[in-house]
Amino acid sequence: MNRGGFAGKVLYVDLTDEEIKQEPLDFSLCEKFIGGLGLTVKLAYDNIEPGNDALSPENPIVLGAGPFVGTNLPATSRVYAVTKLPSSGTIGWCGGGGMNFGCMLKNAGFDHVIIKGRAQKPVFLQIFDDDVQILDAESLWGKGVEETTEALWQEFGRPAGVIAIGRAGENKVVFSMAYIDRLSTLGRGGFGAVMGSKNLKAVIVKGSQGIEVADRKRYRALNKDFLQTIREYPYLKEWQELGMFKSFPMASELYDPIKKRRIACVSCPIGDKDVVEIPDGEYKGLVKCTTSATNLFTPLIHGLSDYRESIKCVTILDEYGLDKFEFFGLMGFVKNLGDQGIISKDQLESEVDSGSIQSIETWAGKISNREGLGDIMADGFNGILKHFGEGAVPYAPPLVRGMLPYAGPGGSISWNLFGTMELGQVLDPRGPHVGSGGSPTYFAKRPLEVFPRHLRRMGVPEETIARILPRLDSPDQEQILNVGRLLKYSHRWFTILGSMGICARAQINRFYNAALCADLYEAVTGIETDLEKLRKRVDRVWTLLRMDFIKNGKYQGRVWQKRRRLT
Amino acid sequence: MGKYTIQVYTERCTGCLRCELACSDLYTKTFNPSKARIQVTATGLDCMIRFTGECNYCGVCVDHCFYDALQKEEKVAVNE
Ligand code: SF4
Ligand code: SF4
Ligand code: SF4
Repeated sequence: MNRGGFAGKVLYVDLTDEEIKQEPLDFSLCEKFIGGLGLTVKLAYDNIEPGNDALSPENPIVLGAGPFVGTNLPATSRVYAVTKLPSSGTIGWCGGGGMNFGCMLKNAGFDHVIIKGRAQKPVFLQIFDDDVQILDAESLWGKGVEETTEALWQEFGRPAGVIAIGRAGENKVVFSMAYIDRLSTLGRGGFGAVMGSKNLKAVIVKGSQGIEVADRKRYRALNKDFLQTIREYPYLKEWQELGMFKSFPMASELYDPIKKRRIACVSCPIGDKDVVEIPDGEYKGLVKCTTSATNLFTPLIHGLSDYRESIKCVTILDEYGLDKFEFFGLMGFVKNLGDQGIISKDQLESEVDSGSIQSIETWAGKISNREGLGDIMADGFNGILKHFGEGAVPYAPPLVRGMLPYAGPGGSISWNLFGTMELGQVLDPRGPHVGSGGSPTYFAKRPLEVFPRHLRRMGVPEETIARILPRLDSPDQEQILNVGRLLKYSHRWFTILGSMGICARAQINRFYNAALCADLYEAVTGIETDLEKLRKRVDRVWTLLRMDFIKNGKYQGRVWQKRRRLT
Repeated sequence: MGKYTIQVYTERCTGCLRCELACSDLYTKTFNPSKARIQVTATGLDCMIRFTGECNYCGVCVDHCFYDALQKEEKVAVNE
C-alpha cells in the first residue's frame, strides 16, 4: 500500500550557523509514534538535551503537524510545538488551532521543523516549498503580533501560515506566547520567549506540493459518511454562528453588535474564530481577529466594566503577545504588594488597576519592554517572589508551578468545576495550560449520564468505564466521577487527536471516535492500525513525554502554592 | 461547460479552504490548495473568492462548503 498523509520530510534549521538541512521522515517512527503531537514529542526527546536553559541557543523548538493535516477531514489543522519552557523550566507541549500554518507546512513538504541556535540579529524563517531561508527581520522587530503577521502577508501574499511573536516574546517575558496567523495562541508558559531568545520573530510557510492519502477509495467512503453526520447535526448552524457563546445566556446582547465574520482553520466545518469590530465609543472602528469572541470579554471578570475597553485590552495584550491569565494575576498580586507597602509607592511608578484600561496599557507596555518594575513582573510570579522575598508569599494568589491555574481558588474559572483539565494542570510538570488533562472537555458538574457515551467514543474499555463511574449500576445513589482515572483516558484521547492533527475543541471532537480515528489513520497513511494498536502507540507517546519530563529533571515552582491566612 | 452556475456569498466565507481541498482532490488526486480552481483569500473583514479559467463549474466545491458561502443552481437548457 502507498504511504499517504505525511509530507515526508523534516526540516532542521540552525540559526547560529545559518545552516539549513532537510532529511526524509523516518517512517518507522511514524508507525511507533503516529505523527503530529506523538512524533513531535519523540523528536523533542531526541533533540532536547538535559541541563540546557529554556532560553539558551541549545534549546530546540520542535514543530509538527499530523498526517491528517492538509487533508479535508473535518477540522484537521492542529499544530504542535515542543520545547523547554522558561516559566517551569521543563518540557512544554504546546498546541494551537493551526489556521493556515499546518496545511501550508505540509504542502511545503514538511511534517516537522526543528529550530536550534540563536541568530545574531532579528530574523524570520521563510519556508516556501524547498526555498528555505533565514531572512532579516530588523524592520519587524518591535512590531506587534498582528502587525508582523499582516506585514508578512502583505509582502509574500496569502494563503501563507505565520507564527509570530510580539514585543513580550522579543524581551523574553516568561509568560509571552506566539500566535498562529495572528490569532491562535501557542505556548502558555513562555513559548514566545523561547522564540525571542533565538532572535526569531516569525516563521512563514507556503507550499504547493499537495498531500496524498494512501487508500483513496476507503478514505472517500469514510469521509463521506462522516461529513454527512456533521451536516445532519441539529446544532450545526447554532455552533457555526455562536461558537462558545452558545452556552452564554447574554450572547446576543454582547456578540451581535460586534460580530463581523466567523473564521475557521483549514478544513474546519464549525469554525469558531472571529473578526469583530467595535461599533461605537472611543474605540469605534477597532477591528479585532480573535481565537474566540468569548475571550474578548475575560477582562470584564478582572475589573473592566465597559465591553469596548475589554476588547481594546485583549487587543493590547495580544499585540504584545502576553498571556492574559498571568497578566491579570500579576496585576492583582503587585497591587496587593503595593497596598501592603512591600512595594513602595516610588517603585510602583504608576497606578496598578485591572479596572482601568490606561493602567492596563501602561503595565502591559512596561512588562513587555521590561521597564522598571515591569522588568521584574516580566519574570512572572516566581520573579516577583524571588525579588521581594518571603514577605510577598502570603499575598500571592494560589499558584501551580509558579503560574496561575485556570480553575482553582482565585483562578479565572470557578473552582467547583474541577475536572480532568484542573487535575491535569496540577500533575503536568509544565503547570497550567489548555491542553492539560486532555482539554477542558470533561469537567465536573456535567451530568454524569453523558459520560459513558463519551467514554465509549474515546475508546475506553467497558470494564474501565465502570471504574471511572463506580455507581453507574446504582442509579438511586449519588453518582461519582473518578477524575483521576478519567484523566488517563482523557490524555490518551487527546493524544490520539493531537497526533493525527484533529482539533480537540468540544464541537469537533464530539464527531470523532477512537475506532473511526484508527480506520481513518489506516486509510490516510497506509499504516496498519486497529484500536488496540492505536492504544499502544498512544501510550508509547505519553510514556515518552513523561520520560522527557524526568530526563529534563528539575522544574521550578511548587505544585500548589498555598495562601497563608492573613493576620 | 459544467452543469451549474455558482453564486458566491463572501460575507459567509470563513476561509476554511474546504472548497479548495475538494477541488484539488477531485482534479489532481492530492489535497493542494495551490492547484484548486477556486481561490479564496480571506483577510479578516474582507474576503475574495474567484474561479480560475480552468474551472468547469462542476459544483463539487459547493458540496464541501459548510457555510453556504457557495451555492449552485443547475443551468437551465434554453430551446432556441
Ligand atoms: S474548532 Fe476552532 S480551533 Fe478547532 S479547527 Fe475549528 S476553527 Fe480551528
Ligand atoms: S466548480 Fe468544480 S472545477 Fe470549479 S472550482 Fe469548484 S470544484 Fe473546482
Ligand atoms: S467558500 Fe466555503 S468552503 Fe470555501 S473557504 Fe469559504 S467557507 Fe470555506
